[in-house]
Amino acid sequence: MLWSNPLFQGVFWSVLTVAFYQLGKRVHGRLGRWWSSPLVLTPLALIGLALGLHETYRDYIRETHWLVALLGPATVAFAVPIWEQRALIRRRWAILLMGVVAGSLSAMLSAWGFAVWLGLNESLTLSLLPRSISTPFAMTVSGEIGGVPDLTAVFVVITGVFGAALGEVILKILPLRSALARGALFGMGAHGAGVAKAHGLGREEGAVAGLVMVLVGLVNVLAAPLLARLL
Amino acid sequence: MNLRKIILGGRRLLRASRLGQIALVMLFWLLGEAVSRWSGLPIPGGIFGMVMVLVLLASRRLSHASLRQGANWFIAEMLLFFVPAVLAVLDHREFLGLLGLKILSVILLGTVVVMSVTALVVDLGFRLAEAGDHAVE
Repeated sequence: MLWSNPLFQGVFWSVLTVAFYQLGKRVHGRLGRWWSSPLVLTPLALIGLALGLHETYRDYIRETHWLVALLGPATVAFAVPIWEQRALIRRRWAILLMGVVAGSLSAMLSAWGFAVWLGLNESLTLSLLPRSISTPFAMTVSGEIGGVPDLTAVFVVITGVFGAALGEVILKILPLRSALARGALFGMGAHGAGVAKAHGLGREEGAVAGLVMVLVGLVNVLAAPLLARLL
Repeated sequence: MNLRKIILGGRRLLRASRLGQIALVMLFWLLGEAVSRWSGLPIPGGIFGMVMVLVLLASRRLSHASLRQGANWFIAEMLLFFVPAVLAVLDHREFLGLLGLKILSVILLGTVVVMSVTALVVDLGFRLAEAGDHAVE
């Protein structure tokens, strides 16, 4: 009775997603490991439940799409930390732009190299190239260079989930002295999930990561037609 | 005179209310979406909204205090907005086997390269620039 009620179904997954996320945050607060991040544990729990209830992604996302849409205002919110760090950014914007260009080139080249090495087919390879760019931009680039935008969206999410965790490990290995480099690492390598992580490190890191993520999107969308001609 | 009072009162209210600030951030996002749609450019509305806020902050038409709490809330809860997107893997069972492992390897190895290259380039540039600044002084 309850299960077939459309009103109940309409809020079921949204309530559950938010509740699991809140729970995940508490667990992460206690454990503090990369795998205990709410971006890892929460989706895992939801996937398990969705498989158990035979729920499809289409039905799930139809109900919870409003949550994903909130990434839009979250991007608007980047303006505040960027404004707060405007002195640093005004002084070092050229270096950040250099990082964005170097990062974008290495993203495309590494995806291409590793995909060819592992023998992936062309459409998968092309869909993997824009994985370091945030979703709406990545899908645009993917379509332009001959990839499959829907697949790219999945690869972008996987990059965010693992990138946010990997970044922490890389930070421990690389001798980075500047907040500028730590922020750029997360904004370039793990887009939105990385920006969230970078804000945990500090205000400067967070602001730089947000700015870098936006720049990566803009630079790549501008470069995509050129890239399409090269491929 | 009265209008001025209302505006000032509204501002004071906004500075104290996180919910009001969240609504204001949403408003800029909606405006950005409208610009994005109207212009037909492949740039998401959130970025137009961000640029609008930056321009208003720079021209002192908008004060940092009337937006800060709302913006901080969105940034603090950002991971939640990603969670539903991760469930897209439900639709791609074909990636559960060896192919999935290969794709994951490309993503992991590639991300290590991207992060290392970006961070090293920026850190090197930053150190050179700082050294340059000190030399000038």
